[in-house]
Amino acid sequence: MSDILRLEHVNKHFGGLHVSNDLTFSIKTGQVTGLIGPNGAGKTTLMNIISGIYIQDSGQVIFDGKDISQIPPYTRARMGIGRTFQAPRFLQRSNIRDNLLIGSDLSEQKSFTKSFFTRQNMTFEEELNRYMKVAGFDIDLENDITSLTYGQQKLLEIVRSLLSHPRMILVDEPAAGLNNAEIENAMALINIAAKENGIGVLLIEHSMDMIMNICKEIVVINFGKVIATGTPEEISSNEEVITAYLGKDADD
Amino acid sequence: MKIKKNLSKLFILLSCILFIVIVPMFFEGYSLMVINLSLIYAIITLGISVMLGMGGQLSFAGLAFMGFGAYFVANFCSGRLGFTIPTLLALVLAPLFCGIVAFLLGLILLKLKGTYFTFATIALVQVCFSFFTNYRPLFGGPDGISEIPSLSVGSFTFSSYNQWFYLSVGILAAVAIVVERIRRTSFGRSLASVRDNDMAALTLGVNVYMSKVKAFALSGVLGALAGAMYAMQGNFVASDLFAYNNATQFIIMAMVGGVNNTFGCIVGSVLITILPEIFRSLERFLQLFYGLAVIVLMVFMPMGMAGVGSQFAKKIKKILGINKLKRSANSTHSEGVSK
Repeated sequence: MSDILRLEHVNKHFGGLHVSNDLTFSIKTGQVTGLIGPNGAGKTTLMNIISGIYIQDSGQVIFDGKDISQIPPYTRARMGIGRTFQAPRFLQRSNIRDNLLIGSDLSEQKSFTKSFFTRQNMTFEEELNRYMKVAGFDIDLENDITSLTYGQQKLLEIVRSLLSHPRMILVDEPAAGLNNAEIENAMALINIAAKENGIGVLLIEHSMDMIMNICKEIVVINFGKVIATGTPEEISSNEEVITAYLGKDADD
Repeated sequence: MKIKKNLSKLFILLSCILFIVIVPMFFEGYSLMVINLSLIYAIITLGISVMLGMGGQLSFAGLAFMGFGAYFVANFCSGRLGFTIPTLLALVLAPLFCGIVAFLLGLILLKLKGTYFTFATIALVQVCFSFFTNYRPLFGGPDGISEIPSLSVGSFTFSSYNQWFYLSVGILAAVAIVVERIRRTSFGRSLASVRDNDMAALTLGVNVYMSKVKAFALSGVLGALAGAMYAMQGNFVASDLFAYNNATQFIIMAMVGGVNNTFGCIVGSVLITILPEIFRSLERFLQLFYGLAVIVLMVFMPMGMAGVGSQFAKKIKKILGINKLKRSANSTHSEGVSK
């Protein structure tokens, strides 16, 4: 499978803190790549660098063969990099439908005049129903977004980003704060993205169950550095990873 | 929810028809002119609704744009420049010209964020006011420009307040429909995302900066349209109208009605324009009243009358038992969270 995204020697400092230290790895299409590491390892920072919220100090972000290092975040989104957030970000004062339509707006890129004179497209409903079924939702789209539980909002954020027809998505801790049934649904959604839609998925998650279950490949970072990459089996027996997670003796 | 939407549509339609029928029957002369003015101001308020309600950007610049529109008509239609253009053409060109100006100004001003942007728009209003007052060749100084012709379409001239009432209602209705439609376009949604969460907006492909600039340009178009209508109805423009104090009025109009509600903004404009005329003797306390009103509004009804109205409607429906909302299977605390 081909690489959809490649990071080359990416460095990022916040003052004296070296949050991304010479990061080099790639994400393939059609599979889930896990990104794990202890708290503060620089996982979310890396996501922000990929989606363009932060610009790296040096190094390159290469998306589908093009260097996108200096491209603004909204253009990256239009090129097909979707993402979700650790804490869901929605339009608090809009209803659920508008919140989801904003995802499909991105995939359509309709001009203003066209969008002014025409009704919303029909494929939106079809597509939405497909995802909503997987996400285990039965909700009235006219309700306020705030009427949803935290877990539902997190699932809905994945749905929103899938509606934008991305070529890869960055999913930031989808399982945090979800109950077991919702975690199952989140995994189902991510699997659909990777297997049926064939897009690349970068998944940050602390739940090892989820990571080991759906990731083909795992990248482990600590203190901004890649300390290991490999299949779930390789990672779970890697000495350095175990040390990073469990700590080591003081006399080592 | 469908029922609720249709009910409120019906309510709006009925009250509009009632307004159009009743007002010309009972009002004439000066009072009718004030009502016409309130409709013209409502167009500016809708511009503010686009900026503040949809985009979350507080801009005072609507008044400055109104000035541009009014002086555009004053200069090109009154023969001051040695030539005149047809009034109907001016009514179209003024908003167009001002839209371009607002777009260019927006490119600069919207580099600033939040409160700083607001301060810059206040400065813009002040600078324009100084120009309008002091630069005689174009703006006639404090004496203003008089003998501006009224709007004429072909051989028909809108001369009486009665005719202007119907014209204002028509233009306002058209503007309101356009604004309401914009709310449902991808542009409207991208503005909403700028307002509520600009980080999410960026990752959803929304060019936050350009969305704001476009909204600012739209508020410029609406401001100039109102200004052009103002100049043609009153046949006169003077600079004192464009002082900063008056700019705050439009914000209050929008807030009273409900910043994100088209109909609310119109009702707010009509109320805030007409009330001071009714309480003429208390004019000195007007600013005090406005200040208090804003505080009370912010605390008790942040969504304005529109918010109160929809809550009231919800309560009535609960009592009547119409509103059996389809609830999701596992969203149990929808009551507690909803505003």
